[in-house]
Amino acid sequence: MTEAAVSVWQLRWRRLARDHVALAALAVLFTLYALCFSASWIEQWFGVTGIDTDLMSRFDPIDAQHWLGSDEAGRDEFTRLLRGGQVSLSIGLFAALGSSFVGTMIGATAGYFRGRIDMVLMRFTDFMLALPALPVLIILAALDLTKLGFSENFVRSGDAGYWRIVLIVTVLGWTTVARLVRAATLSLVEREFVLAARAQGASSWRVLWVHVLPNAVTPIIVATTLRMGGVILTESALSFLGVGIQPPSTSWGSMLTNAQELMASNPLLAVYPGAAILIAVIAINFVGDGLQSAFDPRADPH
Amino acid sequence: MTALLEAIDLTVSFGDRAGWFRPGQQVQAVRAVSLALQPGEVLAVVGESGSGKTTLARALLGMVPIAGGTVRFDGCDTAAMTAAQTLAMRRVVQMVFQDPFGSLDPRLPVGAIIAEPLDIHRIGTKASRRERVAELLDLVGLSPDAAGRYPHQFSGGQRQRIAFARALAPGPRAIIADEPLSALDVSIQSQMLNLAAALRARLGLAYLIISHDLAAVHHVADRVATMYLGRIVEVASVDALFSTPAHPYTAALLAAVPRIGTGKRVPGDALGGDIPSPLAPPPGCAFHPRCPAATSLCATEAPALRALRAGHDVACHHPLGAA
Amino acid sequence: MGRFLASRLTGAGIVLLLKSFVIFALIGLMPGDPIDLMMNANPETTPEQMALLRAMYGLDLPITSRYWTWLTAAMHGDFGYSRIQHRPVLDIIIPALGNTLILTGAAFVISTILAVTLGTIAALKRGSWIDRIINLFAFAGISVPSFWLGLLMIYLFAVRLGWLPAGGMPRPEQGMGGMLAHLVMPVMTLVIVETGGLARYARAAMIEVLGQDYIRTARAKGLTDRRMLVRHALRNALIPVLTLVALQLGGLFSGAALTEAMFAWRGMGRLILEAILGNDYNLALVCLLFVTGTILIANIFADIAYTWLDPRISLGKRRR
Repeated sequence: MTEAAVSVWQLRWRRLARDHVALAALAVLFTLYALCFSASWIEQWFGVTGIDTDLMSRFDPIDAQHWLGSDEAGRDEFTRLLRGGQVSLSIGLFAALGSSFVGTMIGATAGYFRGRIDMVLMRFTDFMLALPALPVLIILAALDLTKLGFSENFVRSGDAGYWRIVLIVTVLGWTTVARLVRAATLSLVEREFVLAARAQGASSWRVLWVHVLPNAVTPIIVATTLRMGGVILTESALSFLGVGIQPPSTSWGSMLTNAQELMASNPLLAVYPGAAILIAVIAINFVGDGLQSAFDPRADPH
Repeated sequence: MTALLEAIDLTVSFGDRAGWFRPGQQVQAVRAVSLALQPGEVLAVVGESGSGKTTLARALLGMVPIAGGTVRFDGCDTAAMTAAQTLAMRRVVQMVFQDPFGSLDPRLPVGAIIAEPLDIHRIGTKASRRERVAELLDLVGLSPDAAGRYPHQFSGGQRQRIAFARALAPGPRAIIADEPLSALDVSIQSQMLNLAAALRARLGLAYLIISHDLAAVHHVADRVATMYLGRIVEVASVDALFSTPAHPYTAALLAAVPRIGTGKRVPGDALGGDIPSPLAPPPGCAFHPRCPAATSLCATEAPALRALRAGHDVACHHPLGAA
Repeated sequence: MGRFLASRLTGAGIVLLLKSFVIFALIGLMPGDPIDLMMNANPETTPEQMALLRAMYGLDLPITSRYWTWLTAAMHGDFGYSRIQHRPVLDIIIPALGNTLILTGAAFVISTILAVTLGTIAALKRGSWIDRIINLFAFAGISVPSFWLGLLMIYLFAVRLGWLPAGGMPRPEQGMGGMLAHLVMPVMTLVIVETGGLARYARAAMIEVLGQDYIRTARAKGLTDRRMLVRHALRNALIPVLTLVALQLGGLFSGAALTEAMFAWRGMGRLILEAILGNDYNLALVCLLFVTGTILIANIFADIAYTWLDPRISLGKRRR
């Protein structure tokens, strides 16, 4: 036994801890999430609201109570930004996790069973990959769900709008992870430890779950992280175009739609939501990049 | 006596998988092999790389699809076994792989690796499994705290001990070892051999050892089979094979061995040329292009494996020392 | 080569056919059909009349037979009319395509040159503050929402400073100067958004090449002339970069929907957005198919370019 008992993950964590940029980005990201999801407490604290309109205090200037002033309907801009962040950031998380889950399942199935299953799944992946993403997303976001048999009430509810975005971004976003996981699985099933497990009589399920996926987790984590940034950008674009998050619900993208019209008189209202998107996505990308180098197999001990 | 594991006319083909629009290209890696592993014996299969010996081992365990012939376990055709029977066979026939760096999952601690067979075959409780792991680690000469460490923290020899402990975990009757020593240093090789011999005596294990090196199996094997291009060309007890090899190929392998225990030089020349591609095996006896004693008969007709004397089979038209 | 091309084109044709059906079906699920829209225009239409109209337009038929009708017409070169613009679809697409190519082509050339330059500098000065700054800019470019960037630019350069037109197409009499003035902001937006990823890719490719044996050998042999070294390495690093660039060629024709919409540039991207959001089914369908087709062809082209640049890979053997 050559060294102290350190798992691969501990080594990776140590490498990540030396990457100051990634750590800073991680801190920014945690702060953003924490702030956004404590929006209601912050509202109480300051005695403001990011939801209810107050026509007496439209376009209030920046002061101690309204950190970023108030918007065209008298809502406190800062807490409204946090409310929008709840939607944007959680959609980012859910849709990224969703895409990774779907991509992992499809990629692992294709790579493990190979042959025709692989061929069919990979053709399907290519098919999805060559779809013009934004137009198809817009069509999916605009689909009339009642034509698919959903009830009118459900379709009009805010939840439907939220989960519809999560779902369609997931549906179009799994291809990268699927390809990564397939490639990893193809090489892993040739490894002797997989043969050893099969020689023991391990089921396909066990081989995939215990031996293949844990060894393919590195690219999955990195891709999921980077995907989160992509999802937030996509959601903001859809909401900006008016087919994403619908009022009264709000996201950073839909805040920009309103702000666009007030650009000439109140340009700052257009600056904040975009800056929030930029900060969140750039932090996510730096974290993803840091994870990628911390997980680089060339740096793993053997 | 019923053989523990027996191949009858076993053929294994590989190739590109057939596509939707084209047939696959087939290679016969194992061709009509018949071989039996008796309970408690040590059988070595020796051949150059590409001779099909690894494929034979994997086919015996049902790890690769069989193209022809049968594999019998305890006299039962494995193709006709139920899933439960197959699982039961996998419990008592264990495998040790060549590369101790590849055969252990790098993401699992050693304790989980050794306990995996117990887990798969649902043997014991959590606590009893932990005890069993400690017992096995002790058996192969590792300290019990190894259970919490990861494979990358061990040397090659230690890893092969871990792989061995895993194979012993479910209480097997036979261990199939594919080049178990070739990745190890010579000093560690002898340690492993001693360990294997001790455990054989203690547990009554049968071994099927796959090797490219005749000298390496000299001291451990009871019987030796030599394989060439997917066929068994000679089977005999270790003494008979080393003293009076009948197949020119076996003789050539022996001649390539620098020193044999007896010090006697064995008839036959060192092997020239390379093993032909199994994609296009030579007609007749596959060995004839490299054989010093080949005749025109050898180029046209493949010799069958037949008994030269009791317990000594050879597939050659002109066996050595028989003319 | 001929066989490879033929099989790839057949594959692309099948994919295109499948896509046309999927898109056709999806568009059919969008809210409102032409009859709903007619009814909105004339509220006195009775349900009976509507049913009659639906039957007349074949909208009561199942989706597959409607698709078949559309497909047979399309095969005969009849792509139908735009509902909003009352013109044949092709008459609308062709000028939009020209506008898009001007915009995306300019942005593409500039961002490729910029990305390779920045990537090379960053790779050569690896770890220095220059590398860090380039990296930061690349990340910012990847992370910024393009429509927001456009919004800020319009505010700054058009509203506040009044230097540039806020958007729209130049009139013919404005000549070259007018064209450039209208192009500056959308091209800048696209360049900022597109350069980041490509620059990081170019940097990685360059670092990989610089670490390879023959470069080290060249250095050890005393090849100290930096320019020679860079030229030597750059040629090899460019192979993967150009492959990626070739893969993006298909995007040239689809335009940049958000940027075009922000700057009211009459290109394909904006046309697609308008068609979808305005329920102009037929226009949206044909535009999307056209865009998909160009992406598929560009992918085949990228494969060929890759083989041509890198002789180690032979066509046919390579799976995509």
